[in-house]
Amino acid sequence: MSQSITISNSVPEVNSQVEPCVVQIRHLDYYFGEGELRKQVLFDINLDLPKGQIVIMTGPSGSGKTTLLTLIGALRTVQEGSLQVLGQEIVGLSKPELVEVRRNIGFIFQAHNLFESLTAAQNVEMAIELLEDWGNKRQKAIEMLGQLGLADRVHYKPTALSGGQKQRVAIARALVNQPALILADEPTAALDKKSGREVVTLMQRLAKEHGRTILMVTHDNRILDVADRIITLVDGRLETDENLDQFVTTRDPQTLDRRMFMM
Amino acid sequence: MRRRTPLAWFNLTYERRRLLTAIAGVSFAVLLMFMFRGFENALYDSQVQLLKLLNGDIVIVSSLKTNMFVPEQFARRRLYQAQAFAGVEGAYPLYTTTAFWKNPVTKRIRPLRVLAFNPQEPVLPLPGIIDNADQLKLPWTAVIDDRSRPEVGPTEAGIVTEIAEQQVRLVGSFRLGTDFASGNGNVVMSDQNFLRYFSVLGPDEDRRELNTVDIGLLQLAPNADPIAVAQALRQGLPQDVHVLTKAEFVQQERDYWRENTNIGFVFSLLTTMSFIVGIILVYQILYTDVAEHWAEYATLKAMGYTNFYLLRVVLQQAMFLAVIGFIPGCVISGMLYHVTASATGLLMQMTWGRAINLFIATLIMCLISGAIAVRKVQATDPAEVFGA
Repeated sequence: MSQSITISNSVPEVNSQVEPCVVQIRHLDYYFGEGELRKQVLFDINLDLPKGQIVIMTGPSGSGKTTLLTLIGALRTVQEGSLQVLGQEIVGLSKPELVEVRRNIGFIFQAHNLFESLTAAQNVEMAIELLEDWGNKRQKAIEMLGQLGLADRVHYKPTALSGGQKQRVAIARALVNQPALILADEPTAALDKKSGREVVTLMQRLAKEHGRTILMVTHDNRILDVADRIITLVDGRLETDENLDQFVTTRDPQTLDRRMFMM
Repeated sequence: MRRRTPLAWFNLTYERRRLLTAIAGVSFAVLLMFMFRGFENALYDSQVQLLKLLNGDIVIVSSLKTNMFVPEQFARRRLYQAQAFAGVEGAYPLYTTTAFWKNPVTKRIRPLRVLAFNPQEPVLPLPGIIDNADQLKLPWTAVIDDRSRPEVGPTEAGIVTEIAEQQVRLVGSFRLGTDFASGNGNVVMSDQNFLRYFSVLGPDEDRRELNTVDIGLLQLAPNADPIAVAQALRQGLPQDVHVLTKAEFVQQERDYWRENTNIGFVFSLLTTMSFIVGIILVYQILYTDVAEHWAEYATLKAMGYTNFYLLRVVLQQAMFLAVIGFIPGCVISGMLYHVTASATGLLMQMTWGRAINLFIATLIMCLISGAIAVRKVQATDPAEVFGA
C-alpha cells in the first residue's frame, strides 16, 4: 500500500514508457450555467489515475467532486482542457460516442438504483446485455454475485434484500463487465458501519485481484483505509494528493475531525 | 437464455394493482369505442337490413320516395312495363304500410310495419316466410317478426289478436329486426290479406289497393347487367318512378341517414373522445411508472443504454397494455352488443373488420401515450443520479 506517489499538484510528466494511465486529465476547467450566470466550478485540474489504483476523492460539499466524477464518467461534455479516459480523448465527443465510452466504465451510486421488478441476477444481466453477450449471461451474473457473497440471494428481488446486499448487487452490476475503471459516488452513505465496511472491502479485493482502477467520492472517513491515494478537492481546485499515511500524519486528529465535520 | 431481459414486462407486471387499474382503464376506453362504433353502425345497418334482404336486382320506387319513411307509391302498371324490357325476368310488387297491432296479452296497441306481397313470389326469402307460404294464403293470417320489441307480445304461431282493429291469426314468425321506420317491428302478410285489411278503412284514413306499389322488385336474367338494364329502364319508363340497382337503393337509404342526421358526427365525436380518454389514462399509468423508476432508468443511461432502448421499453409497456387491455374490452363489448341487440332489435354486430380497426386504434392510442410519457426518460440526465 505504501507506494511512492507524487505529492505535487503540478503537471505530471508524460512518460511513454510507463503504462498508460486509465484517466489522464490536463488543465481541465468546467463551468455551470450560461452567460452572466456562468460560474466556474473546476479550475485547472491535472490528475493521472494509473491502472490498479484505488483513489478516494474527498473535500467539502460543493467543491466539485461529483462534477469531476461525472466528467470522468463521460456523463457531461467537457468544455476546456483535455480528459482521456481509457486511452480515449473524450473532449469533443458526440453524445452517442460518450455512451460508448460509458459502457467500459462501472458506475456505483449512493442509492442502489436496482429495478425492483427484477431479481438480483436479472439486474446484473441488464449490464451484461449491453455487451450483446447473450450466451452465458445468467452464469456470469451468478458467478459475479457469488464473488460478492450473494450466491444464495441470486433469485431474490431487491425488496427481499438488506441495504448492504442491495448495494452489493449494484456493485456486481458495475463490475460484471470487467471495467478497467470504476466510479463510485458515496457507495456507503446509505449503509450502516458494518455493511459499509463489507462493501468497500469487497470492492477493494475485486479491484486488486483484477487490477482495476477505482475513483470513489466519499465523506465516510471510516473507509479511508482502503485507498492507495487520497485527493482533496476544495473550491474546484485539487488541494492535496497524498497516500493514506501522509494523509493521516499531515493532519492531527483534531484537524481531521474538524475537516470531516466540515464535509 | 439468449433473450434480452424483458424489462418492460417485468416493470409492468411487478405492481399487480397498478397493472389491473391499467388494464381496466384500457378496457374501458376500448369498450366505449366499441359501443359507440357499434351504435353508429347499428343505426345505419338497421336502416338497410330489410333493403338488403329484398330479393331483386333492380328496385323501382316512386320518384318521391327518397327514403323508407316516405309513404309514396307508384302505379303497378310501371312494373308490367318494366317486364317488357330485355333482361327483366320477373317483377314483384311489395306493399308496405303501418298498422296498429294489439298485444294479445296486455291488449295495448303498437304500430308495426306491414310488408305484403304474393307469398308465391320470392320477395323476402326468409325461413319463417317461405315455410309458411301456404298458410299465409289463408285469409286473415300473418307472420310476425321475432325481433320486434318485446312490448308487441308473444309471437308464437296460433295466437289470435288484432291488426288494424281486425282479427288476425299468426301462422309463424321470422327474424328481421327494427329500424327507425319500423320502431316496433314488422308483420308480413299476403297481398290478398293486405287488401282485406287495408282497402276498407274508416273515412279519415288512406285506403290501400293493389294498384299502387311501394317497392317494385325486378329480377334479371342471369347474364343481364343490372347497371345497363337500370339505365335502359330509366330512359324507357316515365319520370314518376325512380329506378335503382339494389346496391344503389341500399346506398341511397344509407346516404339519407348519413346526410340527414347527426348520427355520424355524434358517434365519431364520441369515439374520438373515448380515444382521447384512453390516451390520458394510459399516459397517467406510464408516466407514473417512468417517474417512479427515474433513478433506475438514469442508471441504465449512465451504464451505456441509449435513449432508443428506453423508448423501446416504454413503448413495449404501452403495447402490452394495448394488447391485454383490448381483449377484455372486446369480450365485454361482444356481450353488451348481444344484450343491446336483444333489448332493442338494433343490428349490433361484432365484425372482424371493426375488431381489427379498433385494435389498431388501441395500439395507436397506447403508443401515443407511451411516446408522451417517454419524454420524461429521454430528458433524464444521467449525471443527475450522482449526488442525488
